[in-house]
Amino acid sequence: MRMLRDLGLALLALLLGAAPAAAQGALTVQVSTEPPGLDLTTNPSSTIAGVIFYNVQEALVKVDRHGKLVPWLAERWYTTDSKNYTFFLRRGIRFHNGREMKAADVKFALDRAVNPETKHPYRVQYENIQDVIVKDDYTISVTLKRVQANFLWTVARQGSVIYPREAVGTLKTQPMGTGPFTVADWVRGDRIVLVKNKDYWQKGLPRLDKVTYRFIPDPNSAVAALKSGDIDVSAFGLGPESVDELKKDGRFQVILGDTTNDVTLSMNNSKKPYSDKRVRLAITHAINKEEVLKGSMFGHGKILGSNVDPLNPYYADVSRRVPYDPAKAKKLLADAGYPNGFEATFKVAPQYYYTVRSAEVVINQLAKVGIRAKIQQIEWGQWLAQVFCLKPCENPDYDMSIIGHAEAWDVGNFANPKYYFRWDNADFQKLFRESEVTVDDKKRWELYVRMQQMLADEAPAVWLYMHPRLVVTKKGVAGIWKDLPVPSLDLSEVGWQK
Amino acid sequence: MLLTLLFVSLLVFVVVRVLPGDPALIMLGIEASPDAVARMREALGLDRPVPVQYAEWASRAVLGDLGRSIQYDVPVAGLIASRLSVTLPLTIMAAALMVMAAIPLGVFAATRHRRWGDYAAMTLSQLGIAVPGFWAGLLLILLFSVKLGWFQAGGFDGWGQGVGRALKSLLLPAIALGLFQFAVLARTTRSALLEVLREEYVKTARAKGVAERAVIFRHALKNAMIPILTVAGVQLGQLMAGSIILESVFYLPGLGRLALGAISARDLPVVQGVVLSVASAIVVINAAVDILYGMLDPRIRYE
Repeated sequence: MRMLRDLGLALLALLLGAAPAAAQGALTVQVSTEPPGLDLTTNPSSTIAGVIFYNVQEALVKVDRHGKLVPWLAERWYTTDSKNYTFFLRRGIRFHNGREMKAADVKFALDRAVNPETKHPYRVQYENIQDVIVKDDYTISVTLKRVQANFLWTVARQGSVIYPREAVGTLKTQPMGTGPFTVADWVRGDRIVLVKNKDYWQKGLPRLDKVTYRFIPDPNSAVAALKSGDIDVSAFGLGPESVDELKKDGRFQVILGDTTNDVTLSMNNSKKPYSDKRVRLAITHAINKEEVLKGSMFGHGKILGSNVDPLNPYYADVSRRVPYDPAKAKKLLADAGYPNGFEATFKVAPQYYYTVRSAEVVINQLAKVGIRAKIQQIEWGQWLAQVFCLKPCENPDYDMSIIGHAEAWDVGNFANPKYYFRWDNADFQKLFRESEVTVDDKKRWELYVRMQQMLADEAPAVWLYMHPRLVVTKKGVAGIWKDLPVPSLDLSEVGWQK
Repeated sequence: MLLTLLFVSLLVFVVVRVLPGDPALIMLGIEASPDAVARMREALGLDRPVPVQYAEWASRAVLGDLGRSIQYDVPVAGLIASRLSVTLPLTIMAAALMVMAAIPLGVFAATRHRRWGDYAAMTLSQLGIAVPGFWAGLLLILLFSVKLGWFQAGGFDGWGQGVGRALKSLLLPAIALGLFQFAVLARTTRSALLEVLREEYVKTARAKGVAERAVIFRHALKNAMIPILTVAGVQLGQLMAGSIILESVFYLPGLGRLALGAISARDLPVVQGVVLSVASAIVVINAAVDILYGMLDPRIRYE
């Protein structure tokens, strides 16, 4: 009896043992999806960028928190013709293995991106590079085959990070770079731990000693973890339903900002009735985007009119160009030969739950103009196979779908007739090609405005809203970006306010 | 036994390859170019004929080499082992709690048959059957983590941080996991005991003047253990399977979550490896239960 009691007490003591106190230099961040490897140069997934980009690896040019291009590993650059660029590297920047970064490393990284053997996911952006020439240890020049207006953006994107050639083999599991943190541990399925790089080239940074990324896919679990104090920041994957409740909770601060994620309602332009522009416009007129935003995102976010988001410097608000007008929608449907509407199926993947919620609101609105739509929830792998349809798939198998397109400059998807929208418009393709080689800012702006207007008028898709940036942190965490102009989670300046 | 495993491995191999969904495309995401996807498929060996792929995989599997995970680029065997270090203790803890709670409750109910004690116990077990595991889990988190702050809301820091802490992380999930099976086992215990208490030899023992305690525990319960053990054996397998949902609620890096993630990402080597491991475990558990039968019931001894 006594032994039992002692055993019980001992067990109790073990169980109620205090957890170690959280050090002020440590931060625990929740993200919903574990990255598929840590190699930014072979996989375009934004989940990798959220951990590695800005924290472990850096590029020559940086997109800052306001969406501006600023110096990073290169302290300055110049070009006179937008075909030949010269970059001047900062001196004294060391990789995590102690070796100084030199122009030869930049050449290696860029050459590797151009090389088809490397499987670089965005090779099409780099294949325009004709030559990379090392002028001296800190000067490098890049010659392009054709003028590329967005070349500096290419140099700033996640696939252009600079790393030492001797670390090429371990990029997937232990990436090395010049960033403020190094990867200390990756417990598959659970967490990634980053620790401070004591020799980081920006003095005084980073402010944190250790960052732990925890993968918590379920939004309810994420909120519970936040409320019980297990995590300090919920960075990706928090549902909008929690925002209002957490705003009222004095322990937390809610950061609501903009992203480049355009939630798009796609229509299969290669099959009837979506091949008819009148039907597509009817669908656009039938949708009340404000209501969709309220119903699926609890009002957080911004409605869109085309595939260019508010963070883009050439954004033009065309969201009212095809306004909510159910009467007009019915008339257009009748003109197109569907006076009694038609049936349709939305294929959406519940892994991205906002798409299911948006579809639920939309089918109600479409029903009012006679389009009888239903929702078919399919698993992500099936969505990729049936809707997104990359080779060997020949024809996408869907009527309509909803998904967020998160890339920053992706209006070019609509200039690709093989993209799953299957919209083939020669005028738009011409405009886009021109915009890619126009360097004059004002002229480029005009082209972008015309493209956005054309997208709204031709309606190959319906752009519902820009997904908001939703971050919740404990009070006292400072330095997190409000907006997200590139997929990332820059922790270099994040710290605890005293 | 080996035939079962062979059949299971063949089945899962074919099923995951027939399913729509391209592992390479899922890995690279919708922003990738068709070229990149094609090259990835090649690198993963997915462009070769299925029988060739199976033969290669099977010949290595018998030697313990289950291949490499597509998502994580680590050996599958090591990955499964590290996840088992969470799921196995979780399942054992759930099973232990389940047995420690269910058998006394079942005995209590059987010995107070048709009186208020019996009804109260059965109502309790009814609750256990009705409440879904993930909901129980969320409720436990809300009360003990969010409200009272006694436990973490989930997660598992590893055995290296101290056995006490590790066990503490598994306690709430184990309770939620074992809840349903506890209810089933309590009822099974109760009815098995009631059956046995109706037997002639129990009447004889009572007539002989044996103390009621001894009747129940030394004679009746021991004989009731066979059906109880059968059910408990099956439940062990079900506990392992049920851990998938609770591992997601408590974000534990366990085998269930590994399987779920691998299926979504079409990480074929991992799916095959997990199914084979679980199938082997169940075969072993069944064999162990059979041996235990022999120990309990002298009539069922194998030569």
